[in-house]
Amino acid sequence: MPVLPDANCKLQSAKKRLLTSQAGCYFAFIRAAIITALCTLFSASLYAAQWQSSVISSVLWSASSHNFKQQNYQFTVEPEFILRFDNNAKLTALGRLRSIGLDALSPEGVTDKAYSPFSKPLFIGNSSELELREFYVEFPSDNFYFTLGKQQVVWGKADGLKVLDIVNPQSYREFILEDFDDSRIPQWLANIESNFRGWDTQFLWIPDQSYHILATDDALYTPTSHLMLPQSQAGVSSVEVKPFKRPARTLMDSDVGLRLSRFWRGWDLTLNYLYQYDNFALLYQRRSLTSHGLHVEIEPQYRRTHVLGGSFSNAFDHWVLRGELAYFSNRYFLAEGPSTNNGLSKGEEISYVIGLDWAGLENTLISGQLFQSVALNRQSATIRDKTDSTVSLLVNHTLLNDTIELRFVCLANTNIGDGLVRLRASYEWQDNLKTWISNDTYYGSREGIFGQFDNNDRLTLGIEMGFE
Amino acid sequence: MKQTHLIIVLISIFALPVLAQNLTDSNVNGLPTGEEVAAHINSRDEGKAVSRKLKIEMRDRRGKIRQRETMSYRKYFAAEKRTVIFYLAPKNIKDTAFLTYDYNDPDLADDQWLYLPALRKVRRISASDRGDYFLGTDMTYEDIKLETRVSTTDFNFKTIGTCNSKGKPGLQIEGIPKTQEIARELGYSKTQSCVDSEIWMVRTSQFWDIKGNLLKTVTINDIEKIQGIWTQKNIEVENHKTGHSTGLTFSEVDYRSSVADGIFTTNAIKRGL
Repeated sequence: MPVLPDANCKLQSAKKRLLTSQAGCYFAFIRAAIITALCTLFSASLYAAQWQSSVISSVLWSASSHNFKQQNYQFTVEPEFILRFDNNAKLTALGRLRSIGLDALSPEGVTDKAYSPFSKPLFIGNSSELELREFYVEFPSDNFYFTLGKQQVVWGKADGLKVLDIVNPQSYREFILEDFDDSRIPQWLANIESNFRGWDTQFLWIPDQSYHILATDDALYTPTSHLMLPQSQAGVSSVEVKPFKRPARTLMDSDVGLRLSRFWRGWDLTLNYLYQYDNFALLYQRRSLTSHGLHVEIEPQYRRTHVLGGSFSNAFDHWVLRGELAYFSNRYFLAEGPSTNNGLSKGEEISYVIGLDWAGLENTLISGQLFQSVALNRQSATIRDKTDSTVSLLVNHTLLNDTIELRFVCLANTNIGDGLVRLRASYEWQDNLKTWISNDTYYGSREGIFGQFDNNDRLTLGIEMGFE
Repeated sequence: MKQTHLIIVLISIFALPVLAQNLTDSNVNGLPTGEEVAAHINSRDEGKAVSRKLKIEMRDRRGKIRQRETMSYRKYFAAEKRTVIFYLAPKNIKDTAFLTYDYNDPDLADDQWLYLPALRKVRRISASDRGDYFLGTDMTYEDIKLETRVSTTDFNFKTIGTCNSKGKPGLQIEGIPKTQEIARELGYSKTQSCVDSEIWMVRTSQFWDIKGNLLKTVTINDIEKIQGIWTQKNIEVENHKTGHSTGLTFSEVDYRSSVADGIFTTNAIKRGL
């Protein structure tokens, strides 16, 4: 049925009013939650305070077929401070001071424009950084549980690679070698949990716009794979990388998320929804012909996507079956060929992981996983394959009443044939003193996500002390 | 005549041990049977819910001591028992939490979860891991779950005599796993316990491994009546195979304060205390 211009105008206006009223309710709810949080916090009396710290020190040696040399030392202090109030409110603050002895792993050697101004660490010289990692208040109120402030939110059940664990962005300064707990970038957000008809619900409002951090040029883990970066082409005389184009509207560019979870007949189930900016910057390319030749302008920018997914896990005898799936409505893949759609091909993506854990041997866990990402409805041919598969194997064994832990992890991409093998042995000398030795070895083609770091195999010795 | 003799000999070989066993089990000097003792233990009042602090001290054969401080809660939801343990200290294990749902239906496997703060994830654990040692202690996941109870689903119990533990007279019962598979899962081929027949609590237990070697001894050193309920305050577990031992000391035991249902959820173990 045709719609008259006037009617169309009224329809648009009604839609706008509806959206405005929905947004109004939404912000009123958030405002009420924040006011309740502040009232709760400030009306309460302090009754306990805790102070704990960790000091972590590690030394790294790198090895390739050509050399074996000391690469780096790293020193980290992680203080944690907790205040408890008499109305069950709790304030947690976690800091991190990190000092690194190698320029190629410098804290500052990252795409720091991807940090929001509120989450950016303070860089001290070229070798150190000071960061307020987390700072949040938690309190229960009727049927709600509020966690407000800078925090990490972890979704999903996969190990080692991420499908649903995408609420917080991640630092790839050391590729994926850092523990996710350390590499995840906490954000300022409101996390409101409740129970609705047997479902545990979690609502997230994330106004803090931080994105994945990558290592910059000349750093040790600067990405070079053609799967991640546009490659130089014949005939190009100059390349200019423009500043990051960041979403600038604090409220309207917020991410929102919803998770429903329940335990049903032995199954742990979740349904997840996230409306977010893709945490990887899209590298839009503009080409122009100049008197010197072809000029390419690259402008990193961010695009929104809906993410719809879910996860499950259950135990059967010695086995635990777990998995997660996510559908992304808008994905931009690096396009094949120089001039197509600014170098990008728009499409959709489905990612999933299936994992099987086996605990049939005493104090031993053997776990296998299959990750697959399928690119759908691409506008044009892409550099990546339509289906990309990675398999992982984890073997973990503890000895001497858990004082010794041995771990073997292998990640292998079956499309390119590259991978990463990780071995680690740790020993707990005392309650608060642990040492470890680990080895990370990459293999395979330099075109692969893992193989691109084939020169960066490393051996690490570390010590961690806790203070209370 | 020869045939009659042969039948008597066969009966002697095959039937008498069975008859003797039944006689032993049902009527050792008029003592209650093993199953009756187990039923008494399992019907003892444990309170609908309890909260308590638990200090765990682990000692290796060279004298090295590691300590853990935890807060634990247990609550019955009809016949289903839910238990949660939160680790409070030291720093390297703080925020780890263990949650278990123990169903009354023997055909239903327990559900168990472990929250690992390093991963910030709740990991589902197979209930068949119940013979694994619990976070470095000398107690298995199954021991932790059972607390003062004994499992009549997994063991056949028989009374083998009387005993005395620290001056307290009791009944000595022996538990044999019902199948080889259960024995393998639990890591025990036999248990013997001295049960205080006044309060129906186990005072000492010994466990044999699946090869038949003495594996560990559990001694309850301190039992006290708290808010009308007999409560174990100190447990010592000695592993004879490794020389490692574990001491568990309970404090601030409270059966009266209400324990919220919501604490027995995966969300709660993720949040911590």
